Amino acid sequence: MTEAPPSRPPARLAGVARVVRIRTLPGRIRGFALLAVLAVAAVFTVAAFAVQDARDGLKVIGHDAGPQVVATGDLYYALSDMDAQLAAVLLMGREQNLGAGRAKALQVYDQRRSEAHRALLQGSNLASDDPAEQQTARSILDALGRYEQLAGQALQLDQQQPHAAGPPSDQVRALYRQATDLMKLDVLPKAYNLTLDNGTTVRRTYESKHGAVLDGIAWVVITGLVLIAILVGLQVYLTRRFRRLVNPVLALATLASLVLVVATVGLLTSEASHLSKAKKDGFDSVLSLSRARAISNNADADETRYLLDPEQADTYEQVYLDKSQEIFSVTAGNLHQYYQQVDQRVAAHSGFTGFLGLESQHVTLAGQRAAVDRTLQGYQTVQHDDARLRTLATTAGGRHDAIVLRMGTASRDFATYDQSLVSLTAIHQKAFASAIRDGDDGLSGWSVGLPVAAVVIAILVLVGVRPRLSEFR
Amino acid sequence: MRVALSRVGAALALLLTVGGCGTGGGTSVADKDTLVIGVSKDQPGLGKQQPDGTFQGFDVDVARYIAAHMEKKPKKVDFKVTQYSQRESSIQTGKVDLVISSYSITPERKTKVSFAGPYYVAHQDTLVRAADTGIKNVRDLAGRRLCAVTGSVSWQRVTVERGVAAHVVKAPTYGDCMTKLTGNSLDAVSTDDLILAGFAAQEGRSVRFVNAPISDERYGVGIRQDDITGCEDINKAITEMYLDGTAAKLLQRWFGATGLHLTTTVPQFEGCG
Repeated sequence: MTEAPPSRPPARLAGVARVVRIRTLPGRIRGFALLAVLAVAAVFTVAAFAVQDARDGLKVIGHDAGPQVVATGDLYYALSDMDAQLAAVLLMGREQNLGAGRAKALQVYDQRRSEAHRALLQGSNLASDDPAEQQTARSILDALGRYEQLAGQALQLDQQQPHAAGPPSDQVRALYRQATDLMKLDVLPKAYNLTLDNGTTVRRTYESKHGAVLDGIAWVVITGLVLIAILVGLQVYLTRRFRRLVNPVLALATLASLVLVVATVGLLTSEASHLSKAKKDGFDSVLSLSRARAISNNADADETRYLLDPEQADTYEQVYLDKSQEIFSVTAGNLHQYYQQVDQRVAAHSGFTGFLGLESQHVTLAGQRAAVDRTLQGYQTVQHDDARLRTLATTAGGRHDAIVLRMGTASRDFATYDQSLVSLTAIHQKAFASAIRDGDDGLSGWSVGLPVAAVVIAILVLVGVRPRLSEFR
Repeated sequence: MRVALSRVGAALALLLTVGGCGTGGGTSVADKDTLVIGVSKDQPGLGKQQPDGTFQGFDVDVARYIAAHMEKKPKKVDFKVTQYSQRESSIQTGKVDLVISSYSITPERKTKVSFAGPYYVAHQDTLVRAADTGIKNVRDLAGRRLCAVTGSVSWQRVTVERGVAAHVVKAPTYGDCMTKLTGNSLDAVSTDDLILAGFAAQEGRSVRFVNAPISDERYGVGIRQDDITGCEDINKAITEMYLDGTAAKLLQRWFGATGLHLTTTVPQFEGCG
């Protein structure tokens, strides 16, 4: 070996060739066996990566960002309802018994306040480790403290200046304006944007992990086919060379490989489908309905504020229309046209977009259609009340009736609509939870099963070729 | 076993579609090196083209900040003048990547383009001649001559949303409205306080604010409808702009002297997709 032949392989390959002695018969058998073991390792590796992708996807969507969307949605609702209750109390004045009454409104205010504080003190339930999101959660708490101070001052001053139901004194209104502006411009946007941030995290995780699981399936199929081809090739080689019938241990290894590949592909396919169900039937609707609920509550409070602060009535009316258009969107230039369009479109069950439009175009779950219809009817009733309220408020002498309507019927009808939104969301939450549970269940056992299966197949291969190799000793 | 095999079949079918993932349509702005951003050329304080061809204003600075703070990599900016009436079509046809030009988010526009942001919530107010003391709120515009800029929704907030029977006088730009207002060929210009503030600063004491805001105008970043990733990245950049104090600085720089009440906390986003 002083002169290298022209086709000499590189040093490393030469080393391998020396170990398995590829030119000899036992060398070839060893080579085959080595290839088979490498193929088993390849199947194991790609399968393990894909299973990990599915696990990561389920963790983020099902256990982190997904639930954070619900938590931040609830936080927004609690905050928004605090300001709504404050507006209602100030509007009632000394008439203690409008609607559910002043005491009840104050009680609800306190309840929402403690809900909001509880949610904010467990910031990790609201946001991921992202420093910007954590900073946002902290600054909500700071601003809420200032809000409560202003709200307390407004309530106290309003107590000292008894007035008939309707706008309170200029000083109280000025205090309330400061409070509600703080809530509207500082606190609520941050809470809402946290919900959106979590939504973004879920969407991006889904896109990357769902795609990665599908890619994983492709790789498992490819490496699996290679493994089976090698095992069959080895079998054929041994049969011919040793003039024997089937090598039963190798046949078992081949069968086990086939089962492993089929089972892994089956698992990954169903994991991809659980992820997809959790996202499309569960999460997407939970997110958009929780945004709808947040904005609905805010729009409802704008109706109260419209009565509370006549100087800002124009703005409150316009933002009411803007918010309504986000929930149930139709072509309408003003509220009057909007009411008409809502009636027509709800009757036709079509021709509207917005959050409720999205929801009614994507009905996939049992009971969802009926729940959507109840929500749409509830929404329509809320808009009927709004139309009556604004007509009363702009008619001479009708203001008090408008306030009575606001505190009584309109408030009850809104609660009915809000409840229907909650029930509709619950249907999606159930679908979400069960898809995530199915996904988790499907993966349980695989972190042990997969390596064990791979080791067993590798051992079978080695055991299968051993008697043939021993014939050469 | 049959179930498992049919799953293999399904998996193989899925394989064929794997390559088709992505943002759909064109490239996301998140992946571009240079962003073509539509701005206006004639709005002092917001977007105004200088004699040397460069642009200045709040919108322009916001555009620069967003481009420099996109998640994947900072981007170069190429400004392009975009007429009010062509903002939607410029985005749809890909003439510009983004529009940042006092562009209010409305349900009608949302059927054609998407919006990141809003990066600011302005309020509609009305500017009249200082000598004209008869106009105290928007309802006093009934019977008066109101400027209507093509492609802007502001005048409709008065005539359609509020049903105020003003006489509409058409004009191509707000600069033109101002010339007509001071020249007495119309009586009122009603639009976003940020736009009016820029002009009022130029006109000095000959015009005055009515000081009766009638709306929230959410200034969004117009973006192609299917570019959800780009929209999310822009929202992140806007959040940062408020967190690091840049937004407050820019607002102060461009409008601090006008006495307008400025909001320096991040607005409630519209949401992407």
